[in-house]
Amino acid sequence: MTKLRRRALLGAIGAATAAAAFPMPVIAADRSIRHYWWGNPERDKRTFAVIDTFQKKNPGIEVSGETIGWGDYWTKMATQTAGRNMADLVQMDYRFLFEYVHRGALKPLDEFAGKNLMIADFDQGPLDGGKVDGKLYALNIGSNSQVMVHNTRAFQEASVDVDLINWTWDDFSKACEAITSKSGGKMKGSDDLSLMIEAFEAWVRQNGREFYGPDGKVTATAKDVSGWWQFWADLRKADVVRDKNKTVILDPPIAESGVPVGDTAMSHFWSNQLVGIQAVSKDKIGAAMIPHKPGGKPGQFIKPSMFLSLTRDAKDTETAIAYMNAWVNDPEITSILGLERGIPCSPKVRAALAPKLTEVEKLSVDYFDAIQSKVGPLPLPAPKGAGEVRDAFMRTGTDVVLGKMEVAEAAGMFIQDAQDIVDRAQ
Amino acid sequence: MEVSVEMEEAAKIAHEMRLRRDKRARNGRILKHIFLIGVSCVMLYPLFWLLASSFKPENEIFGSLTLWPSEFRFDNYTEGWNALPQSFTLFYVNSAIVTALSVIGNLISCSFAAYAFARLSFTGRRFLFALMMMTLMIPYHVVLIPQYVQFLRLGWVDTYLPLVVPRFLASDAFFIFLMVQFFRQLPRELDEAAMIDGCSPFKIYRAIILPLSLPAMGTAAIFSLIWVWEDFLAPLIYLNDIKSYTVPLALRLFLDQEGKSAYGQMFAMSVLSLVPVVIFFVLFQKLIVRGIATSGMK
Amino acid sequence: MKRFFARNAPAYVFLLPWLVGFFLLALGPILASLYLSFTRYDMVSDPRWIGLGNYEYMFTRDRRFWKALDVTFTYVVLAVPARLIVALGVAMLLDRGLRTIGLYRAIFYLPSLLGASIAIAILWRQLFAEDGVVNQVLALVGIQGAAWITDPDTSLYTLVILAMWQFGSPMLIFLAGLRGIPRDLYEAAEIDGTPRWRQFTRITLPLLAPVIFFNLVLQTIEAFKTFSSAFIISNGTGAPADSLLFYTVYLFNEAFKFFRMGYASALAWVLLVIIAIFTAIAFFTSKYWVHYENERD
Repeated sequence: MTKLRRRALLGAIGAATAAAAFPMPVIAADRSIRHYWWGNPERDKRTFAVIDTFQKKNPGIEVSGETIGWGDYWTKMATQTAGRNMADLVQMDYRFLFEYVHRGALKPLDEFAGKNLMIADFDQGPLDGGKVDGKLYALNIGSNSQVMVHNTRAFQEASVDVDLINWTWDDFSKACEAITSKSGGKMKGSDDLSLMIEAFEAWVRQNGREFYGPDGKVTATAKDVSGWWQFWADLRKADVVRDKNKTVILDPPIAESGVPVGDTAMSHFWSNQLVGIQAVSKDKIGAAMIPHKPGGKPGQFIKPSMFLSLTRDAKDTETAIAYMNAWVNDPEITSILGLERGIPCSPKVRAALAPKLTEVEKLSVDYFDAIQSKVGPLPLPAPKGAGEVRDAFMRTGTDVVLGKMEVAEAAGMFIQDAQDIVDRAQ
Repeated sequence: MEVSVEMEEAAKIAHEMRLRRDKRARNGRILKHIFLIGVSCVMLYPLFWLLASSFKPENEIFGSLTLWPSEFRFDNYTEGWNALPQSFTLFYVNSAIVTALSVIGNLISCSFAAYAFARLSFTGRRFLFALMMMTLMIPYHVVLIPQYVQFLRLGWVDTYLPLVVPRFLASDAFFIFLMVQFFRQLPRELDEAAMIDGCSPFKIYRAIILPLSLPAMGTAAIFSLIWVWEDFLAPLIYLNDIKSYTVPLALRLFLDQEGKSAYGQMFAMSVLSLVPVVIFFVLFQKLIVRGIATSGMK
Repeated sequence: MKRFFARNAPAYVFLLPWLVGFFLLALGPILASLYLSFTRYDMVSDPRWIGLGNYEYMFTRDRRFWKALDVTFTYVVLAVPARLIVALGVAMLLDRGLRTIGLYRAIFYLPSLLGASIAIAILWRQLFAEDGVVNQVLALVGIQGAAWITDPDTSLYTLVILAMWQFGSPMLIFLAGLRGIPRDLYEAAEIDGTPRWRQFTRITLPLLAPVIFFNLVLQTIEAFKTFSSAFIISNGTGAPADSLLFYTVYLFNEAFKFFRMGYASALAWVLLVIIAIFTAIAFFTSKYWVHYENERD
């Protein structure tokens, strides 16, 4: 289909007449760029402050900031993409990066690196998280990793005293039992992670496999899945994890999870969320790794929490890259941003931020340092359809959690579904 | 003599009947009130919950089932008003502009179309009416993108035009259909008499149909205001600059699935966002009540 | 020709705003979505024509499409009559006699104002949780309630209850309709000693028929298109176990979450046909039960 024909059809028959009467205004003055991100009140304030600072330092450049919450961000993004009207710079998420890159919505950054985008001294691992098929499509503006957030008071009271970085699944089960019995069942040991595919991916890697193979095939096996669901089924049976009716609420707001609510002692999160979780929790929280498998491979990995990407609709790429560069290098700007979006991958920036951290921020930095040697390499980019596989995992898992389906049967069904979904998406 | 005894008797019976009827009516009224108050409690519970939540510290909103906050925090209101990069004052002004224009547009253009469909005969009426009904049936999400492309080409994106102009062009078939149903109820003789007197269709519309349809117009005005005020999807898609955001859009800036949300402030601002609508509702429902007077006219 | 013009001109002048809006703004996107339903379109790259492929997949291979239809039909069948009956009942209670009527009217409309906001989602999950307020009330009368909202067998009913609870808009329309019924009809009936029930069936129902018809058609259309409440209460997923997979929630996710706008468009047109059939049936049968004042048509 040629572009012309698509436009004629998509651009709506009627509008064509009207469009003739209203010529498109020149939206972009020469040196103006648009930056689009998902945020929250705190992040929005910081980001607009960054924009002000950047404009002050670069007279003649106008940056327009556009923001909305996560839930609506992607709807608007898709619409703008379809209209070929993406902002010049957009905030990207690891989960969506591949969907957008594979479909050609983003521009690679390699040609700017070293010229006007100074990233040579950045940590290579986190930086590589933005690479797809060998090209850098997204600049890491913060890293994170999975974390088992736990209630330190509950751990103390139940005298759970294990090394929370090196612990095993067995230690985890014991901790759940101890906490549940200590609190008389009022506080369960942990949230039930049956439906949490991100945690399950770590489990698969501990078994020595990736969830997706290099050709986009699903390489996780039905045995991996049934092992995972059975592990949690046993804990449910022992009544040491959260009630099944809370578990099947998918993607709940942070504040509805066990630790913030106070009915469990552990919940699964990402390390850049620690500040947000502490804000809604009564007790002091701590950070633990996902438990390990004795003799298994490392399951967890460090991934970019957010990226900044250049879109195919960007016109003034030079200005956009200048802005991007300031984001990760300019001391004044990076100090405004702090750790709000995750841990920066520039060692210089990290060093500059270190003295000014709050207690929770320090917790996340310490946690980050502690896990460095315990994590595995970044998995390969997920194929198209990965988002749908995630939904299928939660859907089938719900039947298991509610006891409407046998573990083995459900596991086989999920693997079959997952492969079908990926095949259909290609 | 006998006659007067009978009359007295009759008057007595009538008096007793009236007493009995009044008593029955009073009992009925009391029962009605008890019932309505009971229903009101069920209806209001969520609002109390919302109100209570807006005073609660963040970590109490989800954990506890009690309505009463352990401490009242007014800072959700004071801080929430200025928590975003722009103050809510601006968002209210924006919402007011969009809503006022939209309501006016809806009422004028939809009543025009409804008058044609309900009271005038013309070629193609059934066909056009069916087309209009069709626009009610299509799920909005699939026309979102073609519509965006269209407004983009008109250069209207990031202005209020995509929100307001369609409303002056009777884009909301709900109101057309609503008014059609009410207009069709009015007696035909009125138009016919007016027509014989040489009134133009426009005069009939203005002098007969509109004044007799105040309940319907009041209802349409209330719905139109509420829906536009709460409309979220169109502003989300068409407004980019935060300075142009409307109140519902601003409310979405409080929440972050992945990071730090501000539920308390969001609830506080949600409560405030209901205030103008409730005021408008109370004022405009008089229009519906006034319908009693007009119905006596026939 | 001249007569034709004279006969039609006034109507078309009144219709002009709508005609302009429909043909210049609304029709294009609608046709575009029809076209897209025959393509594979991920919103980033250009649409690719695949003929009837989307429709074929939908009817032969897509299990979730049937699930979504099932959920939506069940909802329509339960929620529409329930909501209309509640709305009509309350409207009639409020129509006559009470001085505080305005206050009640405002109170009863309030839940509808809250719409499908995030607050409602959080509240509904708390109300219908296993340890929620609903079960606490039920426990008072000795009933042990389920975990209504997270049990796939009952979650849909909590949305039906939500629909019943937000009866404000049909109620208001019924009220406006009741206002149009001349008082003297009831007074005459009262004098004749006609019982209340007969007054309802002989006076209220027939004269309210156009408004009942409007509410029935509109509420059915709206129920088929139910999106926000289901989307927000299930956090956008249709969970638990697809029991809240309303048709438009499925459609939205196909379009914006999984980048299948072409398929979503096909879904939309199938829904449009379904709704159109129901609406056509309603219009066809309305000849027999909806009579307009003095109308010769």
